[in-house]
Amino acid sequence: MGMLRKYAVIDPLTGKLDRRIFSDQEVYDEEMERIFGRAWLMIGHESLVPQLDDFFHTYMGEDPVILTRDGQGRLHALLNMCRHRGNRVVRCDDGNAKRFLCTYHGWTYRNDGTLEHVPGEREAYYDALDKSSLGLIEARVETYAGIVFATWDKNAPSLEAYLGDARWYLDTVFNRRDGGSQALGPIKWLEPVNWKTLVDNCSDNYHVPTSHLSSARVQTRFIGRPPLSHEDQFASPNKHAFVNGHSITFRDADDNTPRYVHGASKETMRMFQDYHEATMPEIERRLGALRARRVQLANHSIFPNGILGLRLALPRGPLKTEFWHFVLVDRDAPEELKRVIRIGSQANNGAAGLFEQDDVDNWRQVTEASASRLRRRHPQDLSMGLGHAGTHPDYPGIVSERYISENNQRLFYRRWEEFMNAGSWSDIPLTSISARFEGSATMRG
Amino acid sequence: MRSVRPNEPSLDARQALWFQLMQFYIREAWLLDERRFKEWLDIFTDDIIYFMPRRKNVLRRELHREVTPLGDLAIFEEDRRYLEMRVARLDTGMAWAEEPPSRTRHLIGNLEATPLESGDVSARTAFLVYRSHLETDSQLLSGSREDVLRPLDGGWKVARRTIVLDANVLLDKNLSVFL
Repeated sequence: MGMLRKYAVIDPLTGKLDRRIFSDQEVYDEEMERIFGRAWLMIGHESLVPQLDDFFHTYMGEDPVILTRDGQGRLHALLNMCRHRGNRVVRCDDGNAKRFLCTYHGWTYRNDGTLEHVPGEREAYYDALDKSSLGLIEARVETYAGIVFATWDKNAPSLEAYLGDARWYLDTVFNRRDGGSQALGPIKWLEPVNWKTLVDNCSDNYHVPTSHLSSARVQTRFIGRPPLSHEDQFASPNKHAFVNGHSITFRDADDNTPRYVHGASKETMRMFQDYHEATMPEIERRLGALRARRVQLANHSIFPNGILGLRLALPRGPLKTEFWHFVLVDRDAPEELKRVIRIGSQANNGAAGLFEQDDVDNWRQVTEASASRLRRRHPQDLSMGLGHAGTHPDYPGIVSERYISENNQRLFYRRWEEFMNAGSWSDIPLTSISARFEGSATMRG
Repeated sequence: MRSVRPNEPSLDARQALWFQLMQFYIREAWLLDERRFKEWLDIFTDDIIYFMPRRKNVLRRELHREVTPLGDLAIFEEDRRYLEMRVARLDTGMAWAEEPPSRTRHLIGNLEATPLESGDVSARTAFLVYRSHLETDSQLLSGSREDVLRPLDGGWKVARRTIVLDANVLLDKNLSVFL
């Protein structure tokens, strides 16, 4: 019995993509159940709840969730919905609390989700209320190098299996130091864009020298950032890799270039270089020489909605996305380096970021083009690099020959189809881990 | 004759300062709305910090945590060079967020000015900024500006600007205009 394939939106032979998936309410509603109701979702970072009884308010897709650290230090992801009528029990962005009070009728929950107190339990409910079955709805929580993920699906595989060999690449940014990382933020804003375009754009290195040329040029002129051009990007030894829905682009270079994204300038390059060299023995011990020295993670996304590091594309209907921008810094990095990265990050990304602000009108018009029945007749063309990707002796996943390719995007929409067509997790294929994870770094850090 | 306490400027001096600063802010508003951004940069000192913290939902008893401090991730944390870079970008012809440019209207009011011992002045204002972009996009930004103004070259320069928006999640596609 073949599985019913309701969704066939990307043609693997031509790269034509059905625009309907960016605007259709029915498709969106099914995404919420079949993707956001099943997948491991990035929701925050351990450093946002450092103390016992800390909480941080976040979202799993469009649903409000309280990330808590209970009195024993355990993490919980609790649906922010009173089990009585559905009012939220937390209205703050973060804080420290042992209990959450529903402001409607006073039901009170402990920060592990247990329903502790109901006014009138004896008098009004005649002691017939089964409080033990009415705790806050709790999602499964697992962490990867301090990043907190949660899923609603009891049958989801482990987070380690879900990330699979994508972690081989992700470790090179998120799992570098013994001391782990620290999250700052988020900056939050609404974009009139379907959530998938933000995610798909993470592998779109093609847009960078057009969309962001003005920002790159002035940064070269004013602060000495290395120049950017189409020619460099086409000639670059960098690649795409795709594993289990996660899109990676990376630099494949046997050189001693420091890892920087934000804050690089002619004054700060020395500091980045010194940090790179000072930490290299530790990083080689943690990741092995190949990953420590040669693999430099570039733009990437974690299926479904984790984009470029710890940043979230939170769906708010088919035509809207709430964007959350955090910055992750190595906890044990010098304070001056953290400052430079923080300032560089707000200059590039975030609602006012030079790079980020130029994306939005492009993306929103892509969304808008999908909302019209007439424009929808003409599919998107994602044909770039068709037939130029496969396995690679050194690098896990499906690897493209070039840094500029639409291979990851095609595979992202295929992964989307796999989730949307599946009856349950057992129908969703998962590539088993086969990469060699050299070094001491693990899921736990 | 009414008595004036020592060390406290007379009412006239305060009025003069208020009038001077109000003119300063009105001129700044016109520079921004007429897109004269290079001239606008002249209102800042060389060591300007142009800072827009984030604003969080916290309980009333924790209001000291509402506005994120310098050192946390901010929406803007810019020095003069970064501001100059933002302005220079607009002339590249490829700053797509502002190409075609936004139509803005800056309304500045509620000025309170307090002379500081250093000779600088602390000036608080409230703003409403309307932005219209492309065909039907529009946004209304409201908030406060807290400036430290320094007497320089026979006029005033802004040495520190802290902009606090009255928003938690920004409802706008991006923040590509100056406040």
